[in-house]
Formats: sequence, C-alpha cells, structure tokens
Amino acid sequence: MNGPWVEKYRPKTLDDVVGQRHIIEHLENYVEEESMPNLMFTGPAGVGKTTTALALVKTILGEYWRQNFLELNASDARGIETVRTNIKNFCRLKPVGAPFRIVFLDEVDNMTKDAQHALRREMEMYTKTASFILSCNYSSKIIDPIQSRCAIFRFAPIKGQDIAKRLEYISEQENIDYDESAIEIIVYFAEGDMRKALNLLQAASSGEGKITEDKIYNVVSKARPKDINDMITKALTCDFMGARDLLRETMVLQGTSGEDMVNQIYQDVTKRAMEGNMDNEVYIDLIEAIADSDFRIREGANPRIQLEALLTKFL
Amino acid sequence: MRWTEKYRPKIFDDIIGNGKQKKEVETWVTNWKEGKPQQCLLLVGPAGTGKTTFAHVIANEFSDFIELNASDKRSYDIIMNTVGESATTKSFFTGENNYRLIILDEVDGIHGTDDRGGTRAIGKIIKDSIHPIVMTANDFYSKRLTTIKTKCKVIKIGKVHTNSINALLKRICVKEGIGADPEAVRVLAKGANGDMRSALNILQAIAEDSKKLRMSDLEIVSQKDNTNNIFDSVRRVLKSKSIDKIKNSLILDEDPTFVMEYIAENIPREYEKDSEIKKAYDMISEADLYFGRAQQSRNYTYWRYASDLMGVGVASSKEKTYKKFTRLTGAMAFSLMSRTRGKRSLRDKISEKMSEKLHMSNNVAISMFPYFEIMFENDDVAYDIATFLDLDEDEIKRFRKRKIPKSVIKRKEKERQEYLAKNKLESKSEENLPDSFKTIKSPSQDKSSEKSVTSPSKAKKSNNSKKLDESKTKQQESSDNLIISDNVENYKKNNNSKENNNSFVESKGNGSEVDNDSIAENKNNTSKKDSSSKKDNDSKKTKEDSAQKSLFNF
Ligand SMILES: Nc1ncnc2c1ncn2[C@@H]1O[C@H](COP(=O)(O)OP(=O)(O)OP(=O)(O)O)[C@@H](O)[C@H]1O
Ligand SMILES: Nc1ncnc2c1ncn2[C@@H]1O[C@H](COP(=O)(O)OP(=O)(O)OP(=O)(O)O)[C@@H](O)[C@H]1O
Ligand SMILES: [Mg+2]
Ligand SMILES: [Mg+2]
Repeated sequence: MNGPWVEKYRPKTLDDVVGQRHIIEHLENYVEEESMPNLMFTGPAGVGKTTTALALVKTILGEYWRQNFLELNASDARGIETVRTNIKNFCRLKPVGAPFRIVFLDEVDNMTKDAQHALRREMEMYTKTASFILSCNYSSKIIDPIQSRCAIFRFAPIKGQDIAKRLEYISEQENIDYDESAIEIIVYFAEGDMRKALNLLQAASSGEGKITEDKIYNVVSKARPKDINDMITKALTCDFMGARDLLRETMVLQGTSGEDMVNQIYQDVTKRAMEGNMDNEVYIDLIEAIADSDFRIREGANPRIQLEALLTKFL
Repeated sequence: MRWTEKYRPKIFDDIIGNGKQKKEVETWVTNWKEGKPQQCLLLVGPAGTGKTTFAHVIANEFSDFIELNASDKRSYDIIMNTVGESATTKSFFTGENNYRLIILDEVDGIHGTDDRGGTRAIGKIIKDSIHPIVMTANDFYSKRLTTIKTKCKVIKIGKVHTNSINALLKRICVKEGIGADPEAVRVLAKGANGDMRSALNILQAIAEDSKKLRMSDLEIVSQKDNTNNIFDSVRRVLKSKSIDKIKNSLILDEDPTFVMEYIAENIPREYEKDSEIKKAYDMISEADLYFGRAQQSRNYTYWRYASDLMGVGVASSKEKTYKKFTRLTGAMAFSLMSRTRGKRSLRDKISEKMSEKLHMSNNVAISMFPYFEIMFENDDVAYDIATFLDLDEDEIKRFRKRKIPKSVIKRKEKERQEYLAKNKLESKSEENLPDSFKTIKSPSQDKSSEKSVTSPSKAKKSNNSKKLDESKTKQQESSDNLIISDNVENYKKNNNSKENNNSFVESKGNGSEVDNDSIAENKNNTSKKDSSSKKDNDSKKTKEDSAQKSLFNF
C-alpha cells in the first residue's frame, strides 16, 4: 500500500538525498561528532528540507531515534501553549540511548510570532539535552532572535540533471516506459522542485501506455487553473470587477495561496509577452508591479488585498 | 409612562423626518386599500428612527394586525403556526378594507440555531400571503436578509435630522413643563446622532423630575456611543475630499482592517475611471502593508498611517466627486467565505490529512489537488492514495465523481492481504520494502540495529497497541514513513503508538490540545533586513558556502 510517489520515494538516508551535497557534508560531520547545533533549513518547496531533517534525525539518533525525537509540523497545534508545555517537557528529559534529543519544527513560517517568541528561550535553555531543527521557506518570516540561535542552511532548487536522473530511476522501479523528451519537459516545468516533478510523473503515468511529451503538457495544462488566464484577460480588457471576482473565487474557494497566485500570474503574463501578445513596455511595467506585490506579500501584507491592487495595474 | 411610548406617533403626520419614505409608505397603503396587492415592505435603518413606529401606524390603517418580533422565538414551526395561518386566511372582519397587516419586526435578529428555519418560513409566507406584510431590520447586509430582501420592496429609513430632533424635543419640553436651556436641547439633539428614541430617553431620564434641562445635566448621562456606522465612513471616503470630515468619519468602533476591506470593496463601485481605481487601490495596498507591519512589530502606531492611506489617500484618488447614488456593499470576500464554508471545510479536511501524512504544509497540499484529480482517474491509484491518506467517501468525491468500483476495492484488498501474509516479517524486514528503500548505505542506518530493537519503547508500544500483531509492528518500524495499514483502525493505532514513542519516559508529549494560536492568521514576518550580520561566524560561513555553491545549481 503505497501512498503518492512523493512519499513512496522520499529518501530515507542522507546519502539518498539528491543534490544539496554541500549541506549533507556538513550534516555528516555532525553525525560523526555526535553533536549538532540548532539548525534551520530554508529554501523553496520540494527540495528536500523535510526529507533531510528526517534522515538526519534517524542517522544521528541511531536506533532509539523515535524515543528522542519530537516532530511538530503545520498540522499540529503549535501555539504558545504547545511551546511552553509540550516542547519544554520534551526538552527537559534526558536523552536515552542517543547523544541528545531533537525537536523538529517543520514549516516554522506557519508559527505565530508569539509562539516563536516563546520558543526562543527554550532553544538556548536546553542546549545540553536537546537540539532543534527548524524548516521554513522564507527565513525572513522567522523572528531574528530565533534565526540568531540557528545555523542556517539554504537549500537550493535541485539541478535539472539530478531531477532527470531521479525520474528515470523511479520510472524503472515502477516499470513505466517514457520518452526522453518527456523527462526533459517535466524537468523544465518542475523548476527545481522535486515534489512537483514526481507529481507530474505520477499524474502522467496514471493513464495507459508510455509517458510522452504530450501527456506531460496535458497534465500541466489541466493542473494549471484556467481561472488565472481568464482573470488576467478580464483585467486587461478593463473588467476590473469581473477579474476581482475571479481572483477571490480562486483564493477563497480553491484556496490557492498568495504565493501560488503570484507565480501563476507571473507565468501567464510572461507567456503572453513571449507569444507576442504584449508590448515590452507593458510587460516590464507589469513585472514590476508583480514583483512589488510578491515582496509585500512576503513581508506580511494580506495577499488577497495586494493581488486585488495588482489587478488594477492591468487596467 | 415611558416618553418613547407616550410620544410614539399614531399617524403618518406625526412621524418626523424621512419625508420621501413616508410618501412611499403611504402610497403602498393606499394601493392595498384600493384592492391592489403590493410587494411585502422591508423597512431598513438604524435604531430609533421610526421603523416599528411606521409598522404600527400602518397597522392602524388596516382592520387587524398580527406581530412577531425578536422577543419571540421564531423557528420555522412557530412562524408557520402563528403568522402562517393568518397570512393565508381571510380576516374575520367584513367590509372593503378587511386586510390583516402582518408585522415581522427585527427580522435580521432571527437566530441561526435557536430560530432554525425562520428565514425559510418567512420566505414561504411572503410567497403565499394574501395580506400585506411589513418587516423591519437594522442591518441591510445581514445574512438573514439575503434571500428575503430580493422579494421585498426595500425602504431605507434614514437617521432623523438633528434639527428635527431638536424641534420635537423642544415641543415635548413645553408639554412637560420643562425649563430647558435651548443650547442643552441642541446638544442633546446632536448627540443623539439621528436616534430619536435615545434623545427621548435621555430627556426623560434627566428632566422628568427636576423639570429642568441644563448643560451641566447632560454631563451626568452618558450619551449613546456615537461611533460612525461603517457605511457612513465608506461613503465619506468615497464622496468627500475634506481631510477633516474623512478623518473624523474613520473614528469608529470596528477593526480597521475590516473597514479597509469595505472601502476597497466599494472603490470600483463608486469610482469610474481606471486611473482612479488604480490610484485608490495603490493606497489600499499601501495601507494593508502598514497593517501587516503593525501586526508583526506590534507597533500599532502604524495604524494611523494605514488609516490615512485608506481614508484620505483613497478619497483624493478621485478626480471629482461623482454625483450619483452608489449602492454600497459589504465586503464580498467575507460573504464569499461564509457562502463557501462547506466546500472549504472539505478542502481543509483533506489538506489536513495530506499535511500530516505527507509532511507538507496545507498550502502545498492544496496545490497538489489538481494532480490528484488526474491520478484519481485511475481506479487503482485512486484506491491506493485514498487508503494511504485515509480519505472518506466525500473526500474521494472531491477528486473523482465516480465511486471506486467495488470490484477494484475487492481485488486491491485481496492483494494487500496476500502482500501482508507473504511478508510475515520475522527477519530481513528490509527486503519487503520497495526497492527504492534498499539502497541504504549510511552506516548508522544499519539493518541489524533496526531488527534487534529491544528498547523500552518497544515494550511500551506493545502495551499501547496490543492488537497490533508483531509483524505489523515491526513492519512499521522498519519502514518508517511507509506505514502499511490494514484498515483505518490499525492505521490510527500505528499513529498512536508513534506518538507515544516520542515521549515514552514521561507520558507527556505531543498532546492533542487545541491551540488557537496556530490557527490564527499567519501574518508573521519580520522586516527584510539582512540578519546575517548577527549570526555567529559559523553559520555565516555556512551561508556563504551554500550561496556560493548554489551558483552552480541550474
Ligand atoms: N533532494 C531530494 N532528493 C530526493 N527526493 C527529493 C528531494 N527533495 C524533495 N524530494 C522529493 O519531494 C518530496 C518532498 O520533499 P520535502 O518534503 O523534503 O520538501 P521540502 O523541501 O521540505 O518542501 P516544503 O518547503 O514544501 O516543506 C519528497 O518526499 C521526495 O519525494
Ligand atoms: N421618525 C420618528 N419620529 C418621531 N418619533 C420617533 C421617530 N423615530 C423614533 N421615534 C421615537 O423613538 C421611539 C422608538 O422608535 P421605533 O421603535 O420606531 O424605532 P426603530 O426604528 O424601530 O428602532 P429599532 O431599529 O431599534 O427597532 C418611538 O416610540 C418614538 O418615540
Ligand atoms: Mg517540508
Ligand atoms: Mg424597532
């Protein structure tokens, strides 16, 4: 009973992690020395932050890793309460059968500022017994005091050729036939995100026959909401209210995140320009506006409001 | 006797203010009396402006009336049994004007759970009634009114003008023999902010016994809270250019980001030129940025900039003030949220499960939905993923319309049984894993160590989940994330045991408390200054290292 491939093919050991060699080397030192500072893994989605953290934990804690490990991710309650009771209680205890205990806080950017503040003391109070691994997409979303208590590792997008190799390996394991060119296309669309690459591969292989370029394009176009295109067309033809309605529907109903919206808008606009449907000047003005919204959203502004404002730039 | 009752108007002429509306109501009454049935009337407006008064004055024009208001329980059954009856049967009175007025006062106060079905009943009564109906409400945008108001003739009752209140107060002072300082009367009238009832109540409270009204008397009574109504503020911002008026109008008792949403909502409804909309939305986006900063830094002085940007900034984005009436609306994004609650909760339930089992954030989980839609077209894959994620039928329906065929389920279940039977994992558990997991080279992930576990945790684990047979326990241990579940129940047990293991020494661990903090909206980030300077050398080096190396990526 295997879940989605992203899970089935999650590397179990540090060695299996694709790419990120320079980081892995450092981590292997920690394993050897049986000690480790508080770590923060930052970087884009699907490049192996969680994977690496889990693999490191198992390696460094050895056979009793389960007993000395506390994982809290975005789906767990992680408010001040949790920080002050559960995490604290866990850190207080002596490690058993392992050099120390590890608290892994995945997607820390989803923790409230208050919870982060509550955490800062604990990260230095129990240095003898417990180390922390934090993972996030943007270290800017983490309060300074926490950052200053960590060694920060920046995960890069995974190289195209590494993704290709992994895809070929998985295809063999799953006994599926593929065109070389199909793999290339996946790599192109994945943009360094291994999770996206695996999702594309699995979706394209769920039909009959071998994986072809066409199948990939088909998946890509199905997976990309048409609404974004309609929305931009509406805005460009000065139907602001119509465009705004579509924006809200996509964000509120489908739950597309601000970040994803920005990406898709960027891609759509770029496509229009590359197909010669948009003047260079207009294009660059829009890019500037998109960049600005992107920046503001990451700075903590309300994504929907920012994107509504962005739409006016298309009028 | 309460003066509000004593001086409650009995005829149309006594109702002050709202001249145009009065005419409309009178015409409506006349038409009924001439045997021309009219649409149901919905009077909407702020408190103490005469809505209920109107209703009762109208009632005097008909032979009979029946009333239900917020003090009554108004569930479907109750409304149907009381008003429903009367609405569809003839009045006992004979003669020409034998109508019975149905008054449904304060309809926006119908409670969602206590008055279950209330609005539905009202909808039915509106449809079936042979008698005139008058309804009143304060909040035009109340959810309870969304369907009702489309079936009604809506008349907006405005605040009573200060001068009119002033005049009426003076008359009453004379009648009651109160020696009143005219200035005090004026202040009282103005302070009432259009609420006639409030003015009357205060006057009676201060002057009934003393027969005097002085300025100093006003100080001891607290006037009604005079914060602006949110729509007044929005209208001010969109219609005015006076800094003074705009700033004043934004003093109100609402969450300022909420006010911002309302202003943003109505910008394109009022402003006509694209350039105006653009400029105005720029201001909104800027204001929003400061709200975000205020929240992060907890420095709420930023609010004043936000407030100016969304107020004065939006106001001065227009080239001229449009001379038109714009129907302002509440923030549609909010109503969209409440309308789509069901769909969103399904979405969130699924993404919760994915988040937990696939180690990803909800956002990433949701972004995988389109891929799942495609994967789920394949029966086998659909079954596999659904089982892995423990999806229920509704959740599966999110990804595919058809149910997974029974034959497929049967076959898959059998396959799994066989798989499990074949893999009675005594030793060499690794070999039962898919090949992808066999490539373990790291020395510390030694196979033998996995197998020879005799840790206290193990003992604890079997205590915790006695029904898990040995093989499965081991299987789970060796395959970590690849949890092989027999059925939902076992899966849950596996999960439980995993949790307990985290803290076997002391049974506190990742408890299941509900913590609102983590649900709170995620607006958490600090400003963008580069924090590297503060890091110790070690991490700095690491960072440089990785930055350098990442140059070679891609
Ligand atoms: N470096 C990698 N090598 C091999 N597989 C990878 C790598 N990175 C990601 N993957 C694949 O993508 C999936 C998701 O990766 P992972 O959970 O580590 O991403 P992440 O960096 O934590 O992303 P996010 O920011 O969304 O949390 C893994 O289960 C694995 O299948
Ligand atoms: N327009 C008016 N002219 C004269 N008196 C008024 C007027 N409006 C309100 N009053 C006085 O205030 C009292 C309360 O008014 P009424 O019950 O009509 O308010 P309402 O609009 O129904 O308010 P609510 O929304 O709070 O129910 C009346 O009895 C009357 O004394
Ligand atoms: Mg992750
Ligand atoms: Mg009333």
